[in-house]
Amino acid sequence: MATYISIGFSDNLDPLTACKEACNMATSQLNHERVDIALVFVTAHYNPKLVLPPLQKILNQCNLIGCSTAGLILSDNIKTSGLSLLLITSDDLKIGAGVINNIDQNDIMDSGNRFARNCLENYGQYNRHLFLFFIDGLLKNTSTFLKGMQASLGNAFPIIGGGNCDDFHFKNTFLFYKDQVLRQAAAGVVLGGHSVTGVCSYHGWKPLGKPRIINKSTGNVINIIDNKPAAHLYTEYFGEEVENFRKHNLGMMEILYPLGIYVEGSNEYLLRNAVDFLDDGSIVCQGDVPQGAEAHIMIGNKDFCRQAAIRAAQEVQDALNGQDIKLVFIIESMARLKLLGRMAYQEILEIRNIFGASVPIFGIYTNGEIAPFQTVEKIRKSYLLNESIVITGIC
Amino acid sequence: MINVPISLFFIISTSAVIILFVLAYFLIAKSEQITSLQNSFIKLRNSFNDLDEQAKLIVKTDLELNKAQEESEKRLHDLDNLQKISRLISTTLEENELFLRLENTLKTNVNYEKTLILLTHETGELNKKISLGFTPDEVTLILTNLQKDLSLMDSLKNGKSITSINAARIKKTALNELFHVNHFIISPILSQTSVVGLYFVGNKSNASPITEGDEELISVLANQIGQSLENARLFEQVYRSSQQLEKKVQERTQQLEKALTEVQNISKTKSEFISSVSHELRTPLTSIKGYAAILMSGKLGEIPLSVKERLQKINTHSDNLVNLINDLLDISRIESGKAEMNIATCNIKKIIDNVADLLTPQMKDKKINWVAKVSADIPEMHLDSSQVDRVFINLISNAIKFTPENGTISVEALLEDNHVNFSVSDTGIGIEKNDIDRLFDEFFRVENKINQNVKGTGLGLALVKKIVEAHRGKIWITSEINKGSTFNFTLPIEHNPEKV
Repeated sequence: MATYISIGFSDNLDPLTACKEACNMATSQLNHERVDIALVFVTAHYNPKLVLPPLQKILNQCNLIGCSTAGLILSDNIKTSGLSLLLITSDDLKIGAGVINNIDQNDIMDSGNRFARNCLENYGQYNRHLFLFFIDGLLKNTSTFLKGMQASLGNAFPIIGGGNCDDFHFKNTFLFYKDQVLRQAAAGVVLGGHSVTGVCSYHGWKPLGKPRIINKSTGNVINIIDNKPAAHLYTEYFGEEVENFRKHNLGMMEILYPLGIYVEGSNEYLLRNAVDFLDDGSIVCQGDVPQGAEAHIMIGNKDFCRQAAIRAAQEVQDALNGQDIKLVFIIESMARLKLLGRMAYQEILEIRNIFGASVPIFGIYTNGEIAPFQTVEKIRKSYLLNESIVITGIC
Repeated sequence: MINVPISLFFIISTSAVIILFVLAYFLIAKSEQITSLQNSFIKLRNSFNDLDEQAKLIVKTDLELNKAQEESEKRLHDLDNLQKISRLISTTLEENELFLRLENTLKTNVNYEKTLILLTHETGELNKKISLGFTPDEVTLILTNLQKDLSLMDSLKNGKSITSINAARIKKTALNELFHVNHFIISPILSQTSVVGLYFVGNKSNASPITEGDEELISVLANQIGQSLENARLFEQVYRSSQQLEKKVQERTQQLEKALTEVQNISKTKSEFISSVSHELRTPLTSIKGYAAILMSGKLGEIPLSVKERLQKINTHSDNLVNLINDLLDISRIESGKAEMNIATCNIKKIIDNVADLLTPQMKDKKINWVAKVSADIPEMHLDSSQVDRVFINLISNAIKFTPENGTISVEALLEDNHVNFSVSDTGIGIEKNDIDRLFDEFFRVENKINQNVKGTGLGLALVKKIVEAHRGKIWITSEINKGSTFNFTLPIEHNPEKV
């Protein structure tokens, strides 16, 4: 039996109607009663508790994971309001789903480790190709959680994922796992079997100004840069505007001018969004920052975004070497959605042009992306990324 | 022994001096190199710093550009939303539907954490129409506070929005606390004459402050809502009025229908009465006429001339009475639908010629000029010829009666589509406009000198009208005082029983 994939979507504001419409669209295309895995993404306009029960009922209590998002990526559109659904039925593709709750109340690294083991236990002894997961985007220790996962899965194992988000208010985020609506949690699946996947991610941001040395950092907090409190770097570049940014939760600065960490042998700088400035002048980032690393202020624009998306899509296409791609799955930073604005779909259109109009595209905008990052070690270890587009081709 | 050490010492000393010189040379050279390197390093560092300064300039310019771009995109987005919302709410004239559409659109298109639309009821009470991002308890608290303290509604009366940017600090703090936000816009919803409600939007997050663009958007939207609301209410008023009017029309129609039925019943009773009385009168009249004829014939003995003259009058008056009764019976039959139409193929020219022959003596008496124009293309018609005879006889007799000596009477017949247009014109005294409308009423006689001298029943034209209508034709009159009158009527070529 081959792999069958179908997509459903509805922008009806009534949760029940939206579920019915999206399910009808997806199940009629799938043409199989059995659903092995359902990915569900909804914008923050919906009450998750009203969305999940009808979905579970219509989809026969199948493996269901999903989350809230700032926008839905579809083959022919970008939607900032609605519900999208991806159904997969396959004997070739093997799936092991798992979940972990209350991450903030436990040891983060241990939580990551237990989460990965939980998924692997449900997976069995098949070939593993990829780990896909979604995590609460409001957590500040996703890098540590990822390290915990890598302790079980191995550093070289490709892990992709994203932090859930809402309509840029950073409040109303949630995850779905089977019949549960969760917060402070992670849910995901191990994918494998006879299927083939190709993953690539880029952001497109460029370094600007002279290199700086991170003299002191602890996890995701940068304390000292160039022997000065880390926040001074932003004061140097933005002057009085920094205060304005601080009042507005850093907003534009976080998106447009992240810190770029130089990683030897990598194609791109590792980006770190500055999410907060502490009173002692330290900068809080979304992911871990290594002490002693060289850092730059980074700059991006719409064209850089577009070029990065094209490059990532082309590399996935090349990696899959002309095989029949059944789905292009995209995890993209919500920052890019904000930056691209009305041009957001143009980027998806470029990707579509590379894979062909017949290959369905499905994806979401996230707050923090997880994907393999190319280094000189050629291990392609997965990192927490920012401002990135992660493109996965599934054959 | 001494020479050796001296020479050795010399050699060593010389070597040392040379080495020192060489070392000094190298040291100086190295030092110059270091200085040069240091200079290069300084230059490099300065270049880096210059580059960094340029980078700062680039960042600031880029930031400005991005801000301008974000603002222009936001404006475009807002305009797009405004256009969508305006179109949606302006295409309904039902108030509840208007707010339902507005709520659905605001949920997805206008990104504020909280939205509240309140309307003032006729009683002055504030009512919630749309609430997004508020709990029911919060809405109740807001409504209670706004009704207790009317200062907010009063300050909106000037038609301007109150925002977290332009509000006085004390007022801003109070409104922030009341609505649980840090940034807000409150725009009045205006009708043509007053403030009919308010439109509130707000954000608690400092990441989403209110801008002047937001204020413009909300203000325009509030105006649009006010206009649509006014349209909806006006429509509602018009609709209610039309409903009331329709109800009244229905009532009046029912009353009229009832009256019509009564009139029809009376008319039927009248016809039946006339029919019955006419029949009853005709029998004794026949006897009177018969006995008068016997007496006049002298079969019962010779009668004096004076008696004979009286008997002659009895006979004449009896004939008049019989004619009157016959006319009444015909009208009654036609009205009640009991008249039998003997439809047959007729030549209309022959009918007109026969009638003219019949009335020629009377026309000759008054030296009336007779003109008959019958189109040659008129085919044979399907009519009750005896009834149509009566139509022409009545109309031409009337014309003779009212046309002075040496006048002209003309009859014309023209084919048009599936019917023939007839006209009987005279050069008589004409008819007053007021009388024309009543001319076909039964027993109506125009008051003029001629009618005063000539006896008549007032049934002739009524009968003519009934006969024409029984053939599905129409009849009408045009007249000018002292110039003459024309009686126009139509008759169909083919007789259609269904239509009859």
